[in-house]
Amino acid sequence: MKFVRRYAQLTPMASSKRIIWVMGVLLAILTVLGPVYLLVKYSISDGASINTGGRPIPFWPLHPTLSVYGYLFSDRHFYTVLGNSLIIALLTVACSMLLGVPAAYILGRYKIPGRRLVLLGIISVRLFPDIASVIPIVEFFIFIGAHQTYWGVILSHTLLALPYVIFIGMGAFETIPQELEDQASVMGANRFQTFYSVLLPLAVPGLAAAAIYTFLLSWDEFIFIYFLTFGRQEMFTLTLYLNGLKYAEPQNLLAATSVCLSIPVIAFSMVVQRYMVAGISSGSIK
Amino acid sequence: MADVVLKSLTKKYGNHVVVDHLNLAIKEGEFVTLLGPSGCGKTTLLRMIAGLEKVDGGEIVIGGKRYTALPAQKRNLAMVFQSYALFPHMSIRNNIIFGLRLKRIAPIKIEQKLTWIVNMLHLKGLEDRLPKQVSGGQRQRVALARALVLDPDVLLLDEPLSNLDAALRETAIEELKNIHRKVGKTIIYVTHNQIEAMTMSERIALLNNGIIEQYETPKQLYDHPATMFTAEFIGSPPMNFFTGEISIEGRTAGVKTSIGFLRLNKDRSRRIISMAGRKVTVGIRPHNIYYVEHVAQRRYTDANIELVIELVENMGDRSLIVGKSSGGTLVRFMVTREEEFLPGRTMHVFIDGRSLHLFDPLLKLNIFGQDGTI
Ligand SMILES: Nc1ncnc2c1ncn2[C@@H]1O[C@H](COP(=O)(O)OP(=O)(O)O)[C@@H](O)[C@H]1O
Ligand SMILES: [Mg+2]
Repeated sequence: MKFVRRYAQLTPMASSKRIIWVMGVLLAILTVLGPVYLLVKYSISDGASINTGGRPIPFWPLHPTLSVYGYLFSDRHFYTVLGNSLIIALLTVACSMLLGVPAAYILGRYKIPGRRLVLLGIISVRLFPDIASVIPIVEFFIFIGAHQTYWGVILSHTLLALPYVIFIGMGAFETIPQELEDQASVMGANRFQTFYSVLLPLAVPGLAAAAIYTFLLSWDEFIFIYFLTFGRQEMFTLTLYLNGLKYAEPQNLLAATSVCLSIPVIAFSMVVQRYMVAGISSGSIK
Repeated sequence: MADVVLKSLTKKYGNHVVVDHLNLAIKEGEFVTLLGPSGCGKTTLLRMIAGLEKVDGGEIVIGGKRYTALPAQKRNLAMVFQSYALFPHMSIRNNIIFGLRLKRIAPIKIEQKLTWIVNMLHLKGLEDRLPKQVSGGQRQRVALARALVLDPDVLLLDEPLSNLDAALRETAIEELKNIHRKVGKTIIYVTHNQIEAMTMSERIALLNNGIIEQYETPKQLYDHPATMFTAEFIGSPPMNFFTGEISIEGRTAGVKTSIGFLRLNKDRSRRIISMAGRKVTVGIRPHNIYYVEHVAQRRYTDANIELVIELVENMGDRSLIVGKSSGGTLVRFMVTREEEFLPGRTMHVFIDGRSLHLFDPLLKLNIFGQDGTI
């Protein structure tokens, strides 16, 4: 808040304009933090703070408690679910990067014929809403025997993530100055050596962004995994687990599971984001 | 180390011919500069030699070997780009030894070479820094170190000093000259800055629109411009040009111009006496127009011109004066600053007939060829 006030003073603006600006910022912060507050609050609420019997729901729980987390962490099935989510997301990241990075490199650094057509093809995968494409894809997966298998789920998530990986990665490779690649060639590096020791390290910030995005995509993907696991409890991920809780009362269990779903996302983003800022490729040109 | 021969080298981008049937021979160990205005094809030519640009015609021969179709990584050349192109994610050390590692040189040898080059280019103590953590001048030296440490056959430098400030550039010029003396490498240096070219090179290839206008020593280029382009490009402040007509006065030939009759020296006068009536463009360097206070002191009697000062520009120890002749033509010339010159004053200047450059106004070529003047 202090920062907002100070920044508002620094910017030369009419005071009425400034007030609108500050209110806008506050609104933005509220929009971002509001749901987080509600989620955390409900997850540590006792039953009486949720089912108040007609009285207004308090801003802060009457008797804050972590008991619902204790319940969650003592449930063996929850660990299976957590493990599934992690394994599926990480393997999706691995597969998407393995397939997407070489494609991004080629599309980003070579003027191959038909490049535009390939790009159009890649985007077109994402032109249909998931809910429209899920049935034919699941049909196909049943046909190839990928239904109710881990690799089927990972394959479906990789399919969803690849266009993003390719596009973000392509941007990362495109922005590397041609002269760095030329310099490497003149110094005796072949294409692979240039890729491995110059282009890839410099594309890491962009590729990390793609990796985060892929992780998040898989981590909270619901529709495909819902149809592909089709009731096989031992394959459930957090999103499916959460789905099973949607009518459970009181809602503190739902909220706590949601917090568990969110925490790794926030943590992962923060770690990689720091890396992204540090890795920005300054100093190569001039 | 090797000599470089370019035979009828051609490069096109679509219909745009950037390098046009260009021939150039560079001797082993020679320091040659490709000089020319921006966009004349210098970088393209250098990149073709390096193997980074496809050749559309002609041959590149280095050390007697045909290089034309050889990929860049197989040529034993080194290049410093205008941007330096340091690898931003690698320390100075790793930047310098990148090429040595690729050549699978023994680690002990690599360390020795690193120590040698780091000392030679005053980069000691900076080895572990990233490129963004060193100054512009240091980056330039890292780029140079990275190229030299590879012991290339030919060193290609593309405007390596253009990102440095004036003072640093002076030092860098000295340093480059020293390095060339020490390692004796064949160097092809690209610049649009004629002072760099004039001070460093053994020979200058002056480029214009993808062709070589003139390939000569700096002194020859300055004293005997073969084309009007060379005359305009080389020298600062730039040469004066007047249009005129060859005519004969008394028993010698000269050029009748709007500022008066400019008499040629006897030797050359004889050679153009048969060309009387021909239209020419005559060029005179501001340094070859002399002001002498007393007519009695004058040494050159070939032309005596009266001018009114329009503008005085301070250029350090000397001043550039722009004077207007009675016919309204502007003439640039230099004076020492012992006397004060103010606009409006009338002064007499003299021109030495030996320093006139005569060009054909259509062909833009020196009438006397390359051995023409002085
Ligand atoms: N990749 C390219 N595609 C099309 N035209 C180019 C390309 N590179 C250079 N040119 C053109 O070639 C000409 C020479 O460029 P360049 O060699 O960079 O000139 P210089 O280094 O002398 O300033 C310019 O007119 C430029 O626009
Ligand atoms: Mg250039």
